[in-house]
Amino acid sequence: MKKQFNPERSRGAKPKVAFFDFTDCEGCQLQFANMGQALLEVAGLVDIVNFREIMSEEGQDYEIAFIEGSITTDKDVTRVKKIREKANVLVALGACATIGGVNGIKNRAPLELAKERVYGKKSDTINTINTMPVHKVVKVDYFIHGCPAYIPEIITVIKCLLMGRPYVLPNYAVCTECKMNENVCRYEKDQECLGPVTRAGCNSWCVNNGNRCYGCRGLVDNPAADGQKDILLKYGLKLEEILQHFTLYNDSMGEKYDQAFK
Amino acid sequence: MIDREILLEKMKTSPYKPMRGKIIEARMLTDKEKFFRIQLEGKINLGHEPGQFVMVSIFGYTEAPISICSSPTDKGFFDLTVRNVGVFTNKLHTLNKGDIVGIRGPFGRGFPIDHMFGYDIVIVAGGLGIVPLRSLIRYITHNKNDFGNVWILVGCKTPAELLFKEETEEWMERSEIKINCTVDRADADWHGNVGLITTLIPGVDINPARTYAVVVGPPIMYRFVIAEILKKQIPEYQIIVSLERRMRCGLGKCGHCQIEGVYVCQSGPVFNYAQLKDFKGECHEKAV
Amino acid sequence: MKYASIKKEDLNIWLEYLSGRARLYAPRKKENLFVFRPVKDISEIALKYIPTILPPKKYYFPQKEKLFKFKIRPFKTAKAIKEFEDFILFAVHTCDIAGIQCLDVIFRESPEDPNYLNRKEKMIIIGIECLEYCDKHANCTSMGNHVPRGGYDLMLVDIGEKFILHINSEKGEKLIRGLTYIKEANDADMLSLERVREAKKKIFKEELNGSLAKIYETFDRHFASPIWQDVGRRCVACGNCTSVCPTCYCFDTSDEMKLSLNEGMRYRIWNSCQMEDYAKVAGGEDFRKGRDSRQRHRYYRKFKYPVDKFNRYFCTGCGRCTRTCMAEISLIETVNSLLAAESGTPERPSASGVAERGEAK
Repeated sequence: MKKQFNPERSRGAKPKVAFFDFTDCEGCQLQFANMGQALLEVAGLVDIVNFREIMSEEGQDYEIAFIEGSITTDKDVTRVKKIREKANVLVALGACATIGGVNGIKNRAPLELAKERVYGKKSDTINTINTMPVHKVVKVDYFIHGCPAYIPEIITVIKCLLMGRPYVLPNYAVCTECKMNENVCRYEKDQECLGPVTRAGCNSWCVNNGNRCYGCRGLVDNPAADGQKDILLKYGLKLEEILQHFTLYNDSMGEKYDQAFK
Repeated sequence: MIDREILLEKMKTSPYKPMRGKIIEARMLTDKEKFFRIQLEGKINLGHEPGQFVMVSIFGYTEAPISICSSPTDKGFFDLTVRNVGVFTNKLHTLNKGDIVGIRGPFGRGFPIDHMFGYDIVIVAGGLGIVPLRSLIRYITHNKNDFGNVWILVGCKTPAELLFKEETEEWMERSEIKINCTVDRADADWHGNVGLITTLIPGVDINPARTYAVVVGPPIMYRFVIAEILKKQIPEYQIIVSLERRMRCGLGKCGHCQIEGVYVCQSGPVFNYAQLKDFKGECHEKAV
Repeated sequence: MKYASIKKEDLNIWLEYLSGRARLYAPRKKENLFVFRPVKDISEIALKYIPTILPPKKYYFPQKEKLFKFKIRPFKTAKAIKEFEDFILFAVHTCDIAGIQCLDVIFRESPEDPNYLNRKEKMIIIGIECLEYCDKHANCTSMGNHVPRGGYDLMLVDIGEKFILHINSEKGEKLIRGLTYIKEANDADMLSLERVREAKKKIFKEELNGSLAKIYETFDRHFASPIWQDVGRRCVACGNCTSVCPTCYCFDTSDEMKLSLNEGMRYRIWNSCQMEDYAKVAGGEDFRKGRDSRQRHRYYRKFKYPVDKFNRYFCTGCGRCTRTCMAEISLIETVNSLLAAESGTPERPSASGVAERGEAK
């Protein structure tokens, strides 16, 4: 039976929150645990009942479930469906959960070949399926993109879910935020960058710190594939390399990516 | 006019800060549209023109432009009718009597009532278009002797979507207003017309030079309705429309509502067809 | 006193004096580009620079600006900023001063925008005149902004060992009054100034292949030009061109809640007409679909619409939109292609004629 999640609840009755991880590195949960002062404030608003990284209890009574990681086995499918049945609100946390993430690399090779490469002779005993983001299996209420998730965005999403309102993802490019931060464009330094087609919301975190954008937040709704390919070709990249850039995080997004870039 | 001055003063000192508006009545009109009656702090009158809009704030959800659907002759309050289509309106629909919203405005240019005095009026409302038009219809019913003959043509998809049912029936009972409704798809209880709103226009008997046509509806409707009205020989500047655009400020600054060089929030939302014709290609409502 | 002079070696003393009176912002090097930043010492300042990544508009129309504080229960609003602080923009190019004048027109137009005007009131502009081109992307001469045309408090012109200071306001006058190292310009100074201006005429030539009046007419006639489709096909809709434009002022609003969920702040944040959802209404209708029509809109908002409304071109000629565009959409080329189409001469396909990326000459 689902517990009714009511954002207008009386003070004191805190919603119970649980964290679950699938195929991932647990880095996004670590981001959550690293929120600092805000974590204390959040802890005052919700009851964390299950969070392997910060506590030993494993409460199974929850209304809000944070899912980290992508779905890569039949067992995962069953498990995430069970969590969805129980949880009133389900949050996909981090690139693996929202777009499949780097685990999607597996999808590039036929499944049998991938299995053999990784597990060698034992591959027969391993169950594995193509990498899927969580929303390909169950309904997701909130997406927190990023590898790892960006702490201010985690906090924004928590506020939204406590207010009972949807979190509307930005549908513009990372460049928009990057320019507002007045970074020197990576292209200015002859580095390729996926900022122009990647969904904003991270406040151009990587570029602010001297890195380039790898597209970990997935593509904007309508990426300008022609324009972006032209740019990369101009910078001397081969089509093959361009595709590798685009697939690093986005491979399991299937059709959308195929249409746009293949 | 004192109220108007208070509002203008507020706008001048901080045009982005909303005033307190208390919901004094709220009810669902259909399963998608909710009606709100709002009283401003100090019970001041909004002093709007029919056809103007306000920016409604819900803190935590920002703002949205909403047409005012009451007449300035309705004193002490104003009405809004809102369809649930997004995050903001979804939240607005959860609010009820006693709840508070923020109000800025009124903004834009309303229907040119002063020009319309003494003329016959044909009002064409498609779907939600009846909402801003209700402000005009109520104004006309309160000042009927200022106008000539009045026709109201209302169209929507199904009878269940018809807004302001009781009021429409009241308007129907008034002898000086002719009202005609049509639906795209009838149900068992529907005895009126079935078909597109354009089918009602040829039946309206008017003297084109002495007539204003006021058309409000979804973007797709305009070009067909306007084409029918033009057949009636009504001059282009006597065909009045109201356009919907995305708006964030209402002050002619934020840019979202622009059609080419024109800020709809300041120069509109009400335009005449002669103005629409000047647009080169960004006005979807223009007849081709 | 209308003109004064200061020896270059005294510039630092003056800057120290200035920074004691107000917050001082000036161009500084950032990697291979430049940005306006707070400065303390002349050594940090780049007096010779290609236009900064963002124009100084970030100081009078910030990227993310507080509008007001609010409380949900009980409903309450309050001022977000109690007092705006005095600040000096130092070494501003004439193109960026033209940008400030454009935004003045916008935010002064009724209904006025007090947020902008409050900041503007506290702003002092000390310009610097360019004596040579920053790079090939600038079209300041065509726009008439390569020379000072007002809009500043003081204007610096390098005449060799000294800077000439043009005093253009009382605010500016106050910044030099009573300083022994700033003297009234003598005849020799004025002669040098004249020579500098003469030399400049040989360097600065109109970059666009037509007069502004001709450009305006061309825009009027080429709304449906295939040139817009070409620009649209290359555009990635990153919005860089609008962020860096000194005359772009579109914004969106956003509420940020505190974790108490009862209090928060309303902000306005830069927005771009190049964004996918910019003109989309809640019901789903998109009134400016396609990157081609959105790019066209940007150009028309520089060369057509503000001319109709304010008799003012909203392109300052700073060249930032071209410099920042990864797809190398060049404003000069686009406008020249339109002019070529207008005059019927065979048009150079803009995609192939792309210039290399801009470095300072």
